Amino acid sequence: MAGPLAPTRTPETTTEVVSELDRPWVTIVWNDPVNLMTYVTFVLQELFGYDEQTATTLMLQVHEEGRAIVSSGPRERMEHDTSRLHAYGLWASYQRDS
Amino acid sequence: MTPFTRTRDGLVARLDRAEVDVLGLLCDQLEQLLDADAEDAGGDPVLARLLPPGHRGDPEVAADYRSLTEGALREGKADDLAVVRATLPVGGGDLQLDTDQARAWLRSTNDLRLALGTRLDITEDTEPPAEVTSDEEQQLAVYYWLTAVQGSLVDAVTAAGRGRR
Repeated sequence: MAGPLAPTRTPETTTEVVSELDRPWVTIVWNDPVNLMTYVTFVLQELFGYDEQTATTLMLQVHEEGRAIVSSGPRERMEHDTSRLHAYGLWASYQRDS
Repeated sequence: MTPFTRTRDGLVARLDRAEVDVLGLLCDQLEQLLDADAEDAGGDPVLARLLPPGHRGDPEVAADYRSLTEGALREGKADDLAVVRATLPVGGGDLQLDTDQARAWLRSTNDLRLALGTRLDITEDTEPPAEVTSDEEQQLAVYYWLTAVQGSLVDAVTAAGRGRR
């Protein structure tokens, strides 16, 4: 609890500091003219354990919007997820969530 | 090719001799490309597509990613190609795959399609060739044949997965 003598911090500043440190990383799959829609759906189920409907929704998002976030978490895990997607030939990258 | 079907012995398709020969040749070419030193093949768009950057905006993160993962990615792709080669019915015949072999085939046929697709500048509007006279039309025909092989295998693997549940 902040008493009257506690240093004043604006909530905005606090939020910014926390979000820069805690903002998770994400793995993104990008649209690609070669990869088959059925294959992309299969890979998302295979690698992330998504049910068919979730995997299909993500695949359609990639196809129609050009990209979809397929996982989020610490940087090391997103590196790993990206490399697993690259092993299956999907066009993927990871970055800090924006 | 007859499409993949699920049997008691695994996933089975039939390939004729010419198809087996083409696949063997494509595997050789991809293997050579993956063996090439990254610097020798520097800027090769096919290699760039098969081993893409992990990060799009930050070259330092992308370099970290490459040093961590590229060796294993190349090895995995080479191992998959070795599985394809070992299971090809020489001279034509039944191709019979267990679950792990089917995944190696899915990844390899996808890599071959990515390689050909990148060389041929495939877009979402590209159509199969109406007739095959030029080299490029020949390669395009091979690309669409690979698409049929991979598509049939995805369908068979997915159907097998549904059957298990």
